Amino acid sequence: MADLGVMALLLGLALSAYSVIGSAIGVKIGMPALIVSARRALYMTTLAAAVASAALINAFVQNDFSIKYVADHSNSVMERAFVWVAFYSGNEGSLLYIVLALSIMSALAIRFAPKRMAPSMPWTIAVLAAVQLFYFFVLSFFASPFELLETIPVDGRGINPLLTHPGMFSHPPMLMGGLIAITIPFAFASGALISGNYGDDWVDVARVSAILSWGVLGAGLLLGAWWAYTILGWGGYWAWDPIENVALMPWLVLTAFIHSIMVQKRRGMFRMWNVALLNIAFVLAQLGMFINRGGPVVSVHSFASSTLGVIFLSFMLLSLVFAFGLFLWRMPQLKSERAMESFMSREASFLVNNFLLLSVMAVTLWGVVFPLFSDLARDVSVSVSAPYFNRANGPILLGIVLMMGVGPLLPWRKSSARSLKKWFIWPVAIGVLTIVVLVAFGVKRPVAIFSFGVVAFVATSIMQEWWRGTAARHRGGENWALAWWRLVNGNRPRHGGYIVHLSILMLGLGIIGTNFYQQRTDGALALGESLVIDNYRIEYVDNGNSNRPDRIAQWADLSIYRIDTADYATEISFARAQGSDGFTLKDSTPRPNDRLIGQIQPWHGFYPDFNMASVRSGIRSTIVEDLYVIPRDFLSDGRVSLAVSINPLAWWLWASGPFFILGTMVALWPQPAVERRPARSKVRTMAVGEV
Amino acid sequence: MASRLPFIVIGPRPSLSNAAAISLLLLMLVMFAAAIGCIREDDLTLEQRSHQLAGQLMCPVCDGQTIDASSAQIAQDMRAKVRELLESGITNAEVKDYFVVRYGEEILAAPEGGGFNLIAWIVPFFIAFGGMAIALLTVRNLKRSHARSGGLASAGTGSAGLSEYLAQVDRDLGISDAATAGAAKTKSPKTGDPGPGKKEAS
Repeated sequence: MADLGVMALLLGLALSAYSVIGSAIGVKIGMPALIVSARRALYMTTLAAAVASAALINAFVQNDFSIKYVADHSNSVMERAFVWVAFYSGNEGSLLYIVLALSIMSALAIRFAPKRMAPSMPWTIAVLAAVQLFYFFVLSFFASPFELLETIPVDGRGINPLLTHPGMFSHPPMLMGGLIAITIPFAFASGALISGNYGDDWVDVARVSAILSWGVLGAGLLLGAWWAYTILGWGGYWAWDPIENVALMPWLVLTAFIHSIMVQKRRGMFRMWNVALLNIAFVLAQLGMFINRGGPVVSVHSFASSTLGVIFLSFMLLSLVFAFGLFLWRMPQLKSERAMESFMSREASFLVNNFLLLSVMAVTLWGVVFPLFSDLARDVSVSVSAPYFNRANGPILLGIVLMMGVGPLLPWRKSSARSLKKWFIWPVAIGVLTIVVLVAFGVKRPVAIFSFGVVAFVATSIMQEWWRGTAARHRGGENWALAWWRLVNGNRPRHGGYIVHLSILMLGLGIIGTNFYQQRTDGALALGESLVIDNYRIEYVDNGNSNRPDRIAQWADLSIYRIDTADYATEISFARAQGSDGFTLKDSTPRPNDRLIGQIQPWHGFYPDFNMASVRSGIRSTIVEDLYVIPRDFLSDGRVSLAVSINPLAWWLWASGPFFILGTMVALWPQPAVERRPARSKVRTMAVGEV
Repeated sequence: MASRLPFIVIGPRPSLSNAAAISLLLLMLVMFAAAIGCIREDDLTLEQRSHQLAGQLMCPVCDGQTIDASSAQIAQDMRAKVRELLESGITNAEVKDYFVVRYGEEILAAPEGGGFNLIAWIVPFFIAFGGMAIALLTVRNLKRSHARSGGLASAGTGSAGLSEYLAQVDRDLGISDAATAGAAKTKSPKTGDPGPGKKEAS
């Protein structure tokens, strides 16, 4: 098996090398046969990557512990379903997964690229093949998953217990796949630039492939956050950890790209800018690979044992030089065809949104590298973590949300005072009204109140757009549902975008709620005791444990009661006097207004083989707030120590996921252009003549 | 949708543009000020303060987690210490100092104090405002090149009269965005050839 895998990797290496050279030389000397064979070679790398992957997966299934990677990442008792997870759970396997994903995506991209791309395709293929070449090279010589062990162990070490969860079937592959997928739009843009075919032909393919990569990456990030919140039990969902950051940064740049590419599509502007954005996104994706594998920063996610840092750093720098060298070389040809006419135009607002997105990216990058600077400059280690990023990025993120409401309300080119009034009056009014109402109801935290106002403003702007469009169609005789459906279908990129915007607003609600209004308390409970926080009483009713060779688990059965705070007035005032929000109750006799509303079973596991603990929190979720209970520790005296928080609006974080995916799919869904658009254009051409 | 066609809107409004640019910058300023002023100690209970502080101190043994997030023993001990110190009546800054003395600056989740660490906080300001300024200047330059070409740049899109006519055609066909996108494509000149407006300008 190992031999087959090694051979497949070497074959992939040879094929991708041939494809780069063949494609480039084929174009240079004008030899179509060579170009065609280079293209076919790139198709064949998919087969090579698939065979290598199949060999590794088979080795897992066969428990072939002569292979180091298999012995390190599985054992004979591992459930078969987790072979897929074990496959990419280590450094070498994840690289193989990446090259598999990239080769499949490359093959699909080449196969389905429109005919008019033909002049630049050889160069696109060369770029795709070059990236594959790098990964095959690393896999063959520096990080082979097929390395053999001298002495074959009786059993493997087993899979990392933190990964044995269904969430791990999709979160890591989506993130890695999304990151490497940035190669596709990058290759189309580079191909267009090298070939000198820098018209707008690449725009559509680049847009579609960028949205795909952006959607997968975004969904992967969201899934990771959800997984961290519901499973990992550390009480949060986003830690601004370096590895999270390096996945977020290319996503932000892609977000900028999929907006500004619309300006190029519609107005022929921002052509240089769009190429630059793809370059940045691609280089950042490579930075992510570097930091993930032997990078210099501390993270909970990284493959710490890796020595590949230098190789990945070199490739990142090479990408940087290639991408921006190409850009500078072709810059004179990338000028916009049209000029900007007004600040109050959609293209101007897109430019502002782009700079805000890039600012978040740059601030995040700065936060990631600052500890290195500090080390170098004054030999003092510092940490840059969530408090820094929340403060530095928070205001810019709010600005981005605000632009999400402003941009779509502005027409292309320029706007009149009359249209501004018409489109802004309601959103602004509702936004201000929200702020007034919140203040009137005595809600605290000015920044959060302002943020809620912004969210209301943007939500109203989207609803207004849908309302007016639907109403206009309804007046034309369509029923409401059909009218809305046709409205969305009439311009899917735009309305898909609105659905995604709504999902971002939902995410925003969750972020504001959990960051500004979270309540926390800690306490250790003996059986029968209760912890009271706000209007919840959490009673420790029972516990249990299970001991397996690989895992020692303990859990607590907790009953949650909704209480009337008046029943507990004495205790509450006593706790307040001590500076506490929550308190423990020895006596758990229910008071008159106590009402049982749920039961949770938070859980605590220890894996002796890995010396690793894993915590599963208990959550009672409603759309208003989550009651979130982390079992910190099961104490030797039989008490359980709990960390309890009330996370307002946390439900909305996860509700945004389906809308994000739906919106992305709507935006991507091909317009039925074949039947409809040509006919329209023809009528239009007949009506106005060729302009 | 049909009720808003970009082409019908005519007439540059320079005053509006400047107002937009200024209000955008002002808004950024307000947001930054708000972000800095948003965390206030006085109205918080001791418990809330200790959680807040726990979120600002790193756990020394658990890569990249704060003591607030970590379940490690040392994190639990440190949380208890934070609460104890706060109960003794000292300020947040003094609590942080207590840990910095014992664990080094690395214990703080965000760089603090003056000197070199100030750079960590100043750079984001420059990035955000610099980015904003570049964006607004870009728009202005692009506008200027529009003005220089005497509005000829828009000849590629069609003059105002033609735009209105196109819009009318769109309305008659019952389409708007989708069709104009398609139409824009057929109109845009082929590969790399600068538009007519550009040619006039140079």
